[in-house]
Amino acid sequence: MRWKQFLTPVKSFDAVHARSYMADKSADDVTILDVRQPGEYKTGHIPGAKLIPLPDLADRLDEIDADKPTLVY
Amino acid sequence: MAAQMLAGKGYKVVYNLSGGFKGWQGEAAFGAEEMGLELFTGDESPEKTLTVAYSLEDGLRDFYLTMIPKVKNDTVKNLFTKLAEIEVTHKDRLFDEYLAITAKTVSRVAFEKNTVKDVAEGGLTTKEYINLFQPSDWESESDIIGLAMSIEAQALDLYMRAAARSANPQSKKVLTRIANEEQTHLAELGKLMERI
Repeated sequence: MRWKQFLTPVKSFDAVHARSYMADKSADDVTILDVRQPGEYKTGHIPGAKLIPLPDLADRLDEIDADKPTLVY
Repeated sequence: MAAQMLAGKGYKVVYNLSGGFKGWQGEAAFGAEEMGLELFTGDESPEKTLTVAYSLEDGLRDFYLTMIPKVKNDTVKNLFTKLAEIEVTHKDRLFDEYLAITAKTVSRVAFEKNTVKDVAEGGLTTKEYINLFQPSDWESESDIIGLAMSIEAQALDLYMRAAARSANPQSKKVLTRIANEEQTHLAELGKLMERI
């Protein structure tokens, strides 16, 4: 069991807070990560979001910059 | 769950969007990951990337211009004119960057010969946009700003996906810069919407 991943605090943003957080940043300053399934992404997603479905995430972490803030949904 | 996992893997700043996409209540982009990427396959040079982007802006400008005689409300006519002018500014910017990148001197006319026809921002044709977003009232200023915001959101999304795919580092930079500009446009339209 790797406890670290359960003990690291993750902040939650509601939509209003998330929008104001991103308002003064460039599109490439923040990674918006969509971990839903491709069908859900297709129906509608946050503009500029990167799609990595949750089951693939562990294998595709190299596609997300660890130094940039990441907003996950 | 995903946010916890990233934080555990050493991602410095991770936020979870509470309520998920349903709670987002903002502009959305539509379509599969590959949509519109026939325009940006990933192998394009920065020059070609700028040429395609220029075509997209030009297509959208044409769309706004064709809408002017179709509406009666003068405020909305002015809005379409203004939206078309913004695209001209963006086209100028792209052409300047093209000139800066290519060592050759190229006239605007010669450059425009290489552009792609019948595409608008976001990779959809204007007809496809109208079908997708269906403004309920073409005479309503807020509906038209809403349409323009949807188009900018779609464009931002396309440029981000194209940047992620690009194998050419310089093209990737070009695409990221354009995506950032689209985001600025989107924010400006949002402010405009609040004012009316």
